[in-house]
Amino acid sequence: MKNVKNVHYWQVDHKIKRILTAEKVIVLTSPEAWKKFKWSRKWFERKPKEGYFVWVKKPINFPLAACITIASPKISQNLTNLLIIEKGIKTQANVVCNAAKSNLCGIHKAKGKIILKDSASLEYNHLHQWGKKDFVNPDYEFILGKDSRLIYTYKNLFPPENLLLKTTVQNNESSSSNLNFIINSINSKVGIIDKVNLFGQNSQAIIRLRLVGRKNSYIEAVSQVAASAISRGHLDCQGLLVDKTAKISLTPRLICQNKNAQLTHEASIGKISEEELNYLRMRGLTEEEAINLIVIGFLGSGESGIYNN
Amino acid sequence: MFLEIKKLRVKGDKREILKEINLKVKKGEIQALLGPNASGKSTLAQVILGNPKYKAIQGKIFFNGRDITKLSPEKRVKMGMALAWQSPPVIKGIKLSQLLKKISPQEIKIPDGQMLLEREINLDFSGGEKKISELLQILALKPKLVIFDEIDSGLDIKKLEMVAKIIKKELVDKNISVLLITHWGQILEFLKPNITNVILDGKIICQGKDFKKILRTIKKYGYEKCKKCPLLAG
Repeated sequence: MKNVKNVHYWQVDHKIKRILTAEKVIVLTSPEAWKKFKWSRKWFERKPKEGYFVWVKKPINFPLAACITIASPKISQNLTNLLIIEKGIKTQANVVCNAAKSNLCGIHKAKGKIILKDSASLEYNHLHQWGKKDFVNPDYEFILGKDSRLIYTYKNLFPPENLLLKTTVQNNESSSSNLNFIINSINSKVGIIDKVNLFGQNSQAIIRLRLVGRKNSYIEAVSQVAASAISRGHLDCQGLLVDKTAKISLTPRLICQNKNAQLTHEASIGKISEEELNYLRMRGLTEEEAINLIVIGFLGSGESGIYNN
Repeated sequence: MFLEIKKLRVKGDKREILKEINLKVKKGEIQALLGPNASGKSTLAQVILGNPKYKAIQGKIFFNGRDITKLSPEKRVKMGMALAWQSPPVIKGIKLSQLLKKISPQEIKIPDGQMLLEREINLDFSGGEKKISELLQILALKPKLVIFDEIDSGLDIKKLEMVAKIIKKELVDKNISVLLITHWGQILEFLKPNITNVILDGKIICQGKDFKKILRTIKKYGYEKCKKCPLLAG
């Protein structure tokens, strides 16, 4: 997070560094919200120990921002997060979870619920950046009200030693969800389980996975779309193996319980094309630079300088 | 000699593609290499730039006095060599402007170039757009020797003239050596090479200063009968 002055919730280890609340947006710690708003308990399921509560009550013209960091060795975070967007409100959330150093051996567990009420719209950018010995387990559920829209992008270019990422989306009537998982795995084990339930009439979902397997990495992804109403769903899972020690397992799963629902998928795992590699080398890029550029293009991030470290 | 290829033999997956190639290009010289399909033109270009797909089983390549036979492509490029590909691959998700920035911080401007910058490299490019994109990249490299692999294929006469003008202004007039690989030889009318070579079945079988005479001979006899042409003897 470049400018912490704009961050609405900032936690380092277990300590709250900053909370920015306003009339239109209520920001609290989850334990405070549990005490203050009894109605929130049905979403929390059990009493939270730490984490953020963000309630967008009225339209806002700025993005929400949260930053959760592990900065000390052997910290174990156990977060319960709740984000509620009221009816008809359109907003963006940028959430960064990271380790300040690469050798902290931290644990980051986050159970989150994101509620989009009817006709609400959310673009949620979730950026993870971890150390080599961390264990990370985000488990998020998105509940989409009628006519609501979700674009969720999870990006992890610096994975921990062990990442287990669970995401569930419940699509109500005429709602749409667009999920993007962008993961570059190196010296790490990554498990991805994402499920979308299309139970609302005319709901739709797209899940897009872009996974890169580098040295000593194993990625296992199970992507599921289930339709019980007239709806449309598509899975697009693509893996790129960059190193001979990498392994990727992709399982696209379609479950259809409505004869008028339309579910499709495409899945592929490939290696870097020699032709592309040699082409870029003939533009003066070293083999490593050429691979990185191809990987950046594959991940669709279009960013530069992310592999400098 | 700026570029010198001595007795080069190259093997592909199954067969020998280049058979004892000898070629010399001086600094600031324009040479042409004519040949039919599958004669080894593009392979020679790729081998000169060091594509690891091809293995030289004999011979040597010298550039600027240095033996570069075993150098990586990027090192050859750093020395000042460049190749414009005939059919460049798509680099998904990467805009042409991103690659150009990696090649050089200096902005290169040529006609029709600007509109390609924000597009993914070679994705859905027309034949002409690919050539413009290749030219942009080549100029960004600031080379000392450029090989153009069929830069004239798929271009209409106006575009061909435009491309030839850019090559003349940005390369030839700046004393940069150019090797034009071409199937039909259209671009030679605009760039007038000092020496023209003919390659057939992996061998350079003919070399002459009068490109018009060679083109006329090829048109008259065809490549298949090239070996019988009167120029071959002398």
